[in-house]
Amino acid sequence: MADAQQVSLTIEGRQVNVPAGTSILEAAKTVGVLIPHYCYHPGLSIVGNCRMCQVEVEKMPKLAPACQTAVAEGQVVHVYADRALTARKAVLEFLLINHPLDCPICDKSGECELQDYTYREGRAVGRLQDPKRFNPAEDFGGDVQYVTNRCILCTRCVRFMDEVAQDTVLNVSERGDRAVIGKFEGKDLTHPWAANIIDLCPVGALLSKDFLNKSRAWELDRTASVCPNCTQGCNTILETRDNMVVRMRPRSNLDVNHYYLCDEGRLDYRWMNRTDRLEAPLVRRGDRLAATAWDDALRAAALHLNGKRAFVLASPMLSNESLWVLSRIMKHGGGAGGFRVRREPEAPLPGVPDLARRAERAANVRAAELFGFVKSDMPLAGMQEGDVLIVADHEVAAADAPALAKASAVIVIGTTMPELVSNAMVALPSTNVAEEDGTFTNLRGRVQQYRQARAAPGMSRPVWWSGGDLLVFLGERAGYYIASEAFAALAAQQPEFAGMSYDSLGFRGQVLAGQPVAAGGAAR
Amino acid sequence: MAIQVKVLERPIRQTSYVRAMLKGMAITFKHLTNPHKVTWQYPEQKWDLSPRWRGTHRMLTDENGKAKCVACGLCPQICPANCIKLVPGEDEEGNRYPLVYEIDEFRCIFCGYCQEVCPEEAIHVGRHYENSEYSRAGFVYDLERLMAQTHPVCEMWDPADPRGE
Repeated sequence: MADAQQVSLTIEGRQVNVPAGTSILEAAKTVGVLIPHYCYHPGLSIVGNCRMCQVEVEKMPKLAPACQTAVAEGQVVHVYADRALTARKAVLEFLLINHPLDCPICDKSGECELQDYTYREGRAVGRLQDPKRFNPAEDFGGDVQYVTNRCILCTRCVRFMDEVAQDTVLNVSERGDRAVIGKFEGKDLTHPWAANIIDLCPVGALLSKDFLNKSRAWELDRTASVCPNCTQGCNTILETRDNMVVRMRPRSNLDVNHYYLCDEGRLDYRWMNRTDRLEAPLVRRGDRLAATAWDDALRAAALHLNGKRAFVLASPMLSNESLWVLSRIMKHGGGAGGFRVRREPEAPLPGVPDLARRAERAANVRAAELFGFVKSDMPLAGMQEGDVLIVADHEVAAADAPALAKASAVIVIGTTMPELVSNAMVALPSTNVAEEDGTFTNLRGRVQQYRQARAAPGMSRPVWWSGGDLLVFLGERAGYYIASEAFAALAAQQPEFAGMSYDSLGFRGQVLAGQPVAAGGAAR
Repeated sequence: MAIQVKVLERPIRQTSYVRAMLKGMAITFKHLTNPHKVTWQYPEQKWDLSPRWRGTHRMLTDENGKAKCVACGLCPQICPANCIKLVPGEDEEGNRYPLVYEIDEFRCIFCGYCQEVCPEEAIHVGRHYENSEYSRAGFVYDLERLMAQTHPVCEMWDPADPRGE
């Protein structure tokens, strides 16, 4: 940005310096002034059809739409001038002519821009006496439901499908006050990224069928997270209600996923709420597994591991910290490790460079390979007779059963007990991505952190914690009590992670050292 | 040596109780015949409640006998005592409807905010004060119980008519 010409202007009495060509709306955002807007979205083209962002600019005869007007040197912008406020109030009154007063049953209520701006700038009482237009709600296919009455025709959804998904499905049908968003004949919202229009919709016209009537926006606790469902590592917000994850939404990160999240990723959160979990450390007493204290279980695990080679079956859904601790357990006795990853067709989002639902459906394949785990369809093939098998949250398929018998002992570290493992000696409960702090490395080598969204069940602990304690029992220097501590130890020992810390990662992430920088894409 | 106690010798008309007792009896007999009564004969005779009395809740129903509530979530949000539990869901016709609606009347402070905030005029505080139960759990009123209440409901304060006249 250094070569772009800088322009300085005044917005609401604040001095702003932005590159030439920036819109007034974007410039105002940089000094914390939010100009109301509906049709404008930073990821879409500018149409200026909602007329909500009109502001007064000195020496301009008419009000200017802030989303479409580029900044100019010495401009003085008044967002809350009387003339601008009156104009926006009129726009809101027009929008509310046909907008039903059904906020109590609308899912968007509480995060609705029409509600917010009407509360801020609109009229308290409507003046229109005529009845409102009525159209029935329509199923748009996919996860999307269209509630026609609530639509304000900002056309964000139409532009998203045209420009970003590049699958022209939606249009504005009819004219005047009959205008609605319609689907083209024979087309349906089947695009794998189509549900993004739910987040783009500023009002409650496009709703998620999955989230319908589940919760109110103000009851949700929001946590910054990373989508664990493929190697792309899209930034997300996990929303929980009463300690249950009820929704996953995209969090903008211009280096990875811009403003978007694929349908499959956003709907695949139910496993985080599983209730059939391992909740206490278990050790084998005779023919059954008995709950015990952490130290007992770790000591038992260490006794099994002592002097033996360990083979670690590590899930690629685990965090960097956890995988690194597991790799140290693996290397302690000169062992090996592997993992299997589910592959499905890739689904790119054409409008965003280097963004796709990736074929490998696990969060941390990159780090698992980096730490010495071998990706294979038969991960247990490398296991030798007499190895101690550690199953770390990895599913055990029927094909793995013959190899299981070769193990001298099986130790399970996981959220649930794998069905096919009947001879586990020790089982250590672990947390899933929603229940711990951690980091993932995406396929372009970007290390991104996620935060704990819900309480972990029972006595379960993150794998870097229990694994670190296990290393202490094996006589190594380890033992971490917070995720950033485990990450600091990892960064100190792995040259790729050199210089990284939770503070430096922030919520945008950092790329691994020595990573080729792709043009404009994910590894920027 | 014994303690010396001074014993006053009073005349009999001062020490006799007969006079005082007759005086008391006279008052008693006077009240027995006097119609000016203060005591309320409680179970038979009930108190007139103020129209703005805020007692235990009642959920109003629509013409089909269903609760008017649409599970908008405003009452649990406004409730300062956090005594309302609401889980929204859908009914058979796909309308928003409370799957679970419970008010813990023990925790309730009867401020009436829930009635004031309700956009559907569904939940009301009632003009009612006779609440007894055999268990604490009985004071957690579920939707069915709230709908079954029949007592009159509170008339909220009207700014146009501040004295309720």
